[in-house]
Amino acid sequence: MAAAVEVEDLYFYYTMGEYVLRGVTFTVELGESVAIMGSNGAGKTTLVKHLNGLLKPVRGVVRVLGMDTREHSVAELARHVGVVFQNPDHQLFAETVEEEVRFALENFGFPEDEIEERVEWALAEFGLERYRKASPFSLSEGEKKRLAIASVVVYEPDVLVLDEPTVGQDAIQRERIAEMLRGFMKRGRTVIVVSHDVEFVAELFDRVIVMSRGRVVADGSARSVLTDLAVLSEARLELPQVAECARRLGDLGVPRDLVRLEELEEHLLRVVGV
Amino acid sequence: MACYRVTVLRGFEFRRKDTPVHRLDPRAKAVYVACATAVTLMFATPVPPLIVLLTSVALVAVARVLREWGSTMRGVAFLSAFVFAVNYLMAPEAKLNYAVSMTLRLVALTSVFSVFFLTTSPEDFALALLKLGVPYEYTLVFTMALRFVPTLARDLRTIIDAQRSRGLELERGGLLQRVKRFLPILIPLIVYEIKRSYMIAEALEARAFGAVETRTFFYELRMRSSDWAACALSLAALGVVVACYLTGTLPSWLLWEVPG
Repeated sequence: MAAAVEVEDLYFYYTMGEYVLRGVTFTVELGESVAIMGSNGAGKTTLVKHLNGLLKPVRGVVRVLGMDTREHSVAELARHVGVVFQNPDHQLFAETVEEEVRFALENFGFPEDEIEERVEWALAEFGLERYRKASPFSLSEGEKKRLAIASVVVYEPDVLVLDEPTVGQDAIQRERIAEMLRGFMKRGRTVIVVSHDVEFVAELFDRVIVMSRGRVVADGSARSVLTDLAVLSEARLELPQVAECARRLGDLGVPRDLVRLEELEEHLLRVVGV
Repeated sequence: MACYRVTVLRGFEFRRKDTPVHRLDPRAKAVYVACATAVTLMFATPVPPLIVLLTSVALVAVARVLREWGSTMRGVAFLSAFVFAVNYLMAPEAKLNYAVSMTLRLVALTSVFSVFFLTTSPEDFALALLKLGVPYEYTLVFTMALRFVPTLARDLRTIIDAQRSRGLELERGGLLQRVKRFLPILIPLIVYEIKRSYMIAEALEARAFGAVETRTFFYELRMRSSDWAACALSLAALGVVVACYLTGTLPSWLLWEVPG
């Protein structure tokens, strides 16, 4: 069985010679979920655009479910890798929310009865049923974001890629997106998220890849990567609050590499002897 | 194919450089453009536009913008082929001469205008328009329009990427279907740019745009001796050509026609 995504020594530039990606290598297995982090301009969005063939490697190879992206069209690859871009304003266009959700299904040639079934499911899943006949442009920013995600999730790609899903979302929206991603992961789908949001990543992802200036500078468990101060400063990320707390409580025998609230809670309870 | 359109625009993107051509006053360059245009349009033979073209290429070389100029010229290659074909078919006689001349006319004019835009910052151009008495509100509209060309190109790229990621295929199907496929790209683009224009208007007002009637400027354009010299040279060249034209003393090689 091929891996979900294999990136091998990927080099890429937009302008001849000005490399944006320089030798990126990593593999994401099917059913695995990974967060890609890094400062602005590290090359994250450029990398994401390689995953469904929008960009083709200048050097190196990108394979998606075993398919070399240079040998397949974006339409073929997009059927397996669903990418949700950062700004919903860059994709919403239909007259109604329902049609917006249908768009990808029609493009990929799903049969009509299945389209209807899937649209119903996605509208319910994302709490958009009551806006069914409304214009996408009349929605709030949070709802637009959910609609943009729904319009990709609806065709259940094998690999779901989200670029900055939590930017500009309030706490409730953020939790909703997290809930949706958990559901997707539970169904054994592969999820790749690009994010600056350390708290969001720490709670949700087991594996973290950190990029800086077009290279992978760290790839490992959230616990080891998100508590590595050198890596965090290179990528201009903050220490997650839980890790900060654990670090300060180190003298009490709390391990320093905690990133999840439940883990911290467990250790604290042990320390106070409950 | 969207990349194609963006490439044409690249020729009109300005990058600051320090060369004699960049330093010229925009008004002096405008005089050159006007004279070169006049000469190009006076003749229906290939040699004069060719000379105009070669002069503009020389200026392009001095201004070190050959690469940008090249992408503009590649951008008009298709249009040139079209102009050539139409003129060849429509011309009553001397078909080849007429088609070659008209195509060279287009190419020369594109080249002349791109010399102007590649070496003149939008701000300088706006200042020149102000000096000519155009109200500030209008020159601002002009500079902002130019300023937002690259932004628009980037938005377009992002929107195309987002829709292709949802399975939109632009290259497939008949003409009508293809036109229909552009809707998912055009609608977000228009909506987004209208939204952006409101944001810009608010940002301008927040910085007290239009609070005072008469504006003063930090940078003032001044014609220096080199600018006057450039004007004189352009006008002299035009003068000689017009004089010879009117008195019928043009050298015969200038009026050479393509046989056939």
